[in-house]
Amino acid sequence: MTPKTTSAPALPRLAWRNIWRHRRRTWLLVLVVAYATITTILFWGVQDGFAQSVQVGNARFLSAPALITTPQYFEDPDPEQGLPSLDFLPRVEAQPGVKAAAPRLEFPALIRSAYTADAVRARGVDPLLEAKVSNLPGAIAQGRMLEQPGEVVLGQQLAERLDARLGERVVLDTSALAGPQALGLQVVGLVKSGIAPVDRGTVLVHIQDARVLTGLQTATGVALDVTRGQEARIAEALQPVLPENLRAYDLTQLLGGLSSAIGTKQSSTFLIGMIFSLFAALAVTSTVLVSVLERTREFGMMGAVGMTPPRLAAMVTLETVFATSLGWALGLVLGYALNYWMATQNVLGPVFASYGAAWEILGTGSEIYTAQSPLYALYAALTIALAALFSILIPARRVLALNPAEAMRTE
Amino acid sequence: MNLRFLLLICLLGLGPSNAATDPQAVLKAVVDNQRGGSLQATLTLNITRPERQTQLVLEVASDGNERAITWVKAPPREAGQAFLRVGDNIQLYNPTLKRVLRLPPSGRSDSFLGSDLSYSDLAGRDLEQDFTPRVEAESDTEITLELLPRPQAPTPYGKLVLRASKPGFVPREVLYYDQRGQAVRKITFAQWAQVGGRSFPTQVTVEDLLRPGHRTQMVYSNYRFGLPIPESCFTVRALEAGC
Repeated sequence: MTPKTTSAPALPRLAWRNIWRHRRRTWLLVLVVAYATITTILFWGVQDGFAQSVQVGNARFLSAPALITTPQYFEDPDPEQGLPSLDFLPRVEAQPGVKAAAPRLEFPALIRSAYTADAVRARGVDPLLEAKVSNLPGAIAQGRMLEQPGEVVLGQQLAERLDARLGERVVLDTSALAGPQALGLQVVGLVKSGIAPVDRGTVLVHIQDARVLTGLQTATGVALDVTRGQEARIAEALQPVLPENLRAYDLTQLLGGLSSAIGTKQSSTFLIGMIFSLFAALAVTSTVLVSVLERTREFGMMGAVGMTPPRLAAMVTLETVFATSLGWALGLVLGYALNYWMATQNVLGPVFASYGAAWEILGTGSEIYTAQSPLYALYAALTIALAALFSILIPARRVLALNPAEAMRTE
Repeated sequence: MNLRFLLLICLLGLGPSNAATDPQAVLKAVVDNQRGGSLQATLTLNITRPERQTQLVLEVASDGNERAITWVKAPPREAGQAFLRVGDNIQLYNPTLKRVLRLPPSGRSDSFLGSDLSYSDLAGRDLEQDFTPRVEAESDTEITLELLPRPQAPTPYGKLVLRASKPGFVPREVLYYDQRGQAVRKITFAQWAQVGGRSFPTQVTVEDLLRPGHRTQMVYSNYRFGLPIPESCFTVRALEAGC
């Protein structure tokens, strides 16, 4: 009888049928891979979500998506290093990608109530323009945003520390170009953002008051609202339209060492993420190897009826790919569902808050959500790729070396 | 008794002591009493706390206006420090570091040598500049002014109540109220020295009404008024070298 070779299309059908002949083993594989997939999705969702939280906190509360200032001020943030003029503003606002520009005058000050005093960094703003570049006005939980000189908005925790209430007067002391100056300002709003450095340190005053206090008639910088994700490109594109002694800094540069730390963390995170896939693939491979050992006699019979060793090896690899893919698909459904839940419910905020002040300096808020991306499915698919590779290297090679006659005699 | 005679009696009864008192003039007179012109004196600072009492001895030279220099003479651990105030600028000399430091705005909240005075108090602005006075009560021997902050005045207080004796408008007491009507601080004046027609308080007590038992008493002794103070006394060099 002429040996009947198995046709190529029949091989996948055979592999698919084989995995359901050993349901328990198959479900074990599926669950292992599903678990690794879920873990991978959540891992990246948390990583990216946390990084986004740091960026949003810094870009929209503590700093700006992009900032135009003098290099001298960037190195030494003192009003004496402020902008020489604001004549360049119309050119900047006309640039593609720039949604809004708001001058700011920041300066160190002492804030006093009738009970105590504290050192702060005050920010003089144009109330109408600041709302376009910052989330601070939207985070005012009590009272309102500044409307005119003579008013001040405080972080809620700062107000509590000073024991200053809405409607009461606080005093701001500073010493800059105009020498020692002081102003009494009425508290009109309290900011509650959930970001500790913001709630503890925000002091917003009208830019006219800031100019009186510091003696600087322009600003220390111009905050820009730009297309998200394009901060670096737009900052670079702005350079030709700026005066020679000014520079545009994107958020990465403004974050400085923090940005480097996040970048380094992302690189090392990828390696850590690979480990999940690696261990899952090893678990799958070990299970498949056990399966091959147990099915030696079966493979011997299949070889005897005409299935060549390469096709046997391919079948084993296909079985691995199918079982892993099933696990991957199940893991995607469960993983993205869980990720979606954590992206809409503040599950992570209390977890990170329990670590205390260590996280606060990063500018994260009390609400941290996971990020969502289809890329996570690709990262998780690495498990399939590694499992297939290991399957080729180990169990499939064993099958390749099989002698059908000897295999059939195996108990 | 006819109407004209009644009117005369009423007019006699009013007299100059019942004429409308200018609160601004009263406040100026009170402040002038506190200035007393140029001064050289020994100032003893008695700082009282519930658990301890501390005494410091200072030498002070002031032009009676915008400039003053203070050297700490005792106790030994504080001796050698010096402070120079020129207007709103304050510079400190630290003998350990052998350096002169300019007091930043953030440092003005610190207490002066651990007392109930802050550096802001040392460089404090004139009452006349920041407050609008109103006569709250007046008798033949005493007058009480209510001082309300002017708009955007750099003071965190809701009002001050100043009591002065007449004649001469000699300051007796100042009560500081927060913006909720609670008294938070009290300064009392005593032991006046007559200086060129003015009464200069040589004993000043500052009480923190929010913290019972916290009190600072300043006593001036060996005081000499009206002597010319050399310009070299109000320089950074004088912080370390004296004058």
